[in-house]
Amino acid sequence: MQVLSHYENLSLILSIGLLIIAARMFGEFFRKFKMPLVVGELIAGIILGPSLVGNYAPGISEILYTHNTNASIALSGIINISIIMLLFVAGMELNLSLIRQQGKAALSTSVLSLIIPLGLGFVTAYYGYEYYGRNSTDKVAFSLFMGTAMAISALPVIARTLIDLNLFKTKIGSIIITAAMFNDLIGWVLFSMIMGMLKGSANHSVLLTLLYTVAYAILMLTVVRILINKSLPWAEKNFTWPGGFLSLSLGLAFLGAAFTEFIGLHAIFGAFIIGITIGDSVHVTEKMKDIVNQFVTNIFAPLFFISIGFKVNFLDHFNLQITIIILVLAFVGKIFGGYFGAKIGGLGNKESLAIGFGMNARGAMEIILATLALQANLIGEEVFVAIVIMAVITSIVAGPMMNWLLKGKTTADLT
Amino acid sequence: MTEQISPFSRVALAIAFSPRCEALLAEVKFLQEKFDCKLVFIHVGNKTLQEEQYLKHLLHRFGLDKPENEVIWREGEPVETIIEICQSAQVDLLVAGALEKESLINYVLGGVSRQLSRKIKCSMLLLTEPNIHPKGFNHLVVEGTDHPKTENTIATAVLWARNYNSKSLDIIQENDLSKIALIRSEELKEHEAGERKKEILSEEDQKLKEIIRCSDCGNLAIHTERIEGKPGYVISKYAREKEADLLVINSPDKPLNLLDRVFPHDMEYALGNLPCNLLIVHPKGGE
Repeated sequence: MQVLSHYENLSLILSIGLLIIAARMFGEFFRKFKMPLVVGELIAGIILGPSLVGNYAPGISEILYTHNTNASIALSGIINISIIMLLFVAGMELNLSLIRQQGKAALSTSVLSLIIPLGLGFVTAYYGYEYYGRNSTDKVAFSLFMGTAMAISALPVIARTLIDLNLFKTKIGSIIITAAMFNDLIGWVLFSMIMGMLKGSANHSVLLTLLYTVAYAILMLTVVRILINKSLPWAEKNFTWPGGFLSLSLGLAFLGAAFTEFIGLHAIFGAFIIGITIGDSVHVTEKMKDIVNQFVTNIFAPLFFISIGFKVNFLDHFNLQITIIILVLAFVGKIFGGYFGAKIGGLGNKESLAIGFGMNARGAMEIILATLALQANLIGEEVFVAIVIMAVITSIVAGPMMNWLLKGKTTADLT
Repeated sequence: MTEQISPFSRVALAIAFSPRCEALLAEVKFLQEKFDCKLVFIHVGNKTLQEEQYLKHLLHRFGLDKPENEVIWREGEPVETIIEICQSAQVDLLVAGALEKESLINYVLGGVSRQLSRKIKCSMLLLTEPNIHPKGFNHLVVEGTDHPKTENTIATAVLWARNYNSKSLDIIQENDLSKIALIRSEELKEHEAGERKKEILSEEDQKLKEIIRCSDCGNLAIHTERIEGKPGYVISKYAREKEADLLVINSPDKPLNLLDRVFPHDMEYALGNLPCNLLIVHPKGGE
């Protein structure tokens, strides 16, 4: 068995420790300006990585993110595991029954805020393929990805914005949360299909990939969900709890991820669906979810987000044209989608526009999506940088815009 | 809570000539005495002379063969026919017997009583253990979730408890995990998250206090409790653990279908395994 040498081991451990602390320091700094932690973590990587510090003092950057071949392979493995866990946690936050129960306004908002940006992203990428720089030669897969990237939302950022604006319990708040959950669910299913299609061309047909995706999702969300729900009380009785829940849930997440990877879909899809399956159980309490969430979002998420800046040179790959195209498409697609959806659902002009801006926040989910696409060579560095910038800007703009649009309206007006 | 007029002036009983038919008749007779309501007896099926005579005999035996009471025989698909009759006869409350738990196949396909409760546009009482000598309902558990229907549901439950001389009524506020959990999913310090949660919940508490303060509760012991968990599941579990006699919940906002059984929520948790008798309160004139 091959093991890391003393130096490689030291290099790996040092990197992990320094990256986690640097990410936290930057995250906390940006939090003081009311920005999500993820923005600080991401900027930490950009500043400390090859874009800035690494350009002038490469030694510092290399200590922070190991350049030793074997140690960096191990670190990449840990970061891949982080993505799987992040998707698992994202799945756990989805509430199927909330999506199922949505009223007319939430339904129309969910559907239009998904379809309009998806369509816009797809059509513009397909017909304007050459304007996006160097990307996958599979034009359809690239265009589908761009559509999905425009359609996805960031539930945690949206929830935070709604709480800050005291809109969490209003009708607008409910519509945005439900629609964001719906967008995330469909968005990740679509993304998995695209990734499956890319892999599938080598292993099996596109149709088979679609069949696997749907069959896996249905099986997990019905039979396995019932089995997990029935088994949890037994596990609670016989295992140390809630520690046992952490082991079991993450264990199942990795098994789900391994299974989807095995059948030719992406590992994240397996973890995401297992997250929904476990999070939906009536036996899973807030405390149990909290344990998993804290573990993942405070150790593995910062590691992942800071690492992005070390892998891509943001200055070299910044392309103003692509960034503007993606920003405009993201804003137009989501805001109009949310607006028209809410209008059809019977809401007023300002409220509908506020919903559009609320839905527009992309946050961490968009960055994960773009990273996976970059890893799969579906997009090039320039599109990746543009998507990350778009994710940050949309997340920052959502709160102030909603606040401005709903100024003067009381919570009672919006209930 | 503004008025205490009876919410149930016309009560219907779905009759199936089952072994529990007599007990159900005794229960509705008792209910009629408590609410001073008119009764409608609905039977969906062939009107044979033998069954007609049997029903007449039963109604006479329980003293229910009064002119103000009505018997409706109709052929057709039971669920849709009963719903149609309840609408045309302006029934406020439909009473039916129900097993505590149905087999998985029956549950998924939908037995008559449960299917009625998912679709009907009036209140419905599902009796799991109707008694030929009705005992009433001593301990009621009521849904106190923050919802526009809740005020009417609590008012109805209080009136029900008073009419039946019940001893206690527990109002359960269910903390919806899906929403509360999102507060912790973003980056707040522990005390900040606690404060935000408290702010959101205290608003609900105030509303509930106002509802209870306005209600004419008399000597009824009212206890309120907030429990974390999935709405519907939490209250059913509580009712079972406390051995409640009647669980009172809001009617669903829209008719429930097969998907709601596959991905259960709210009332479906109670229907999956009835913890006790179940009263589903539908606002009068509500959709």
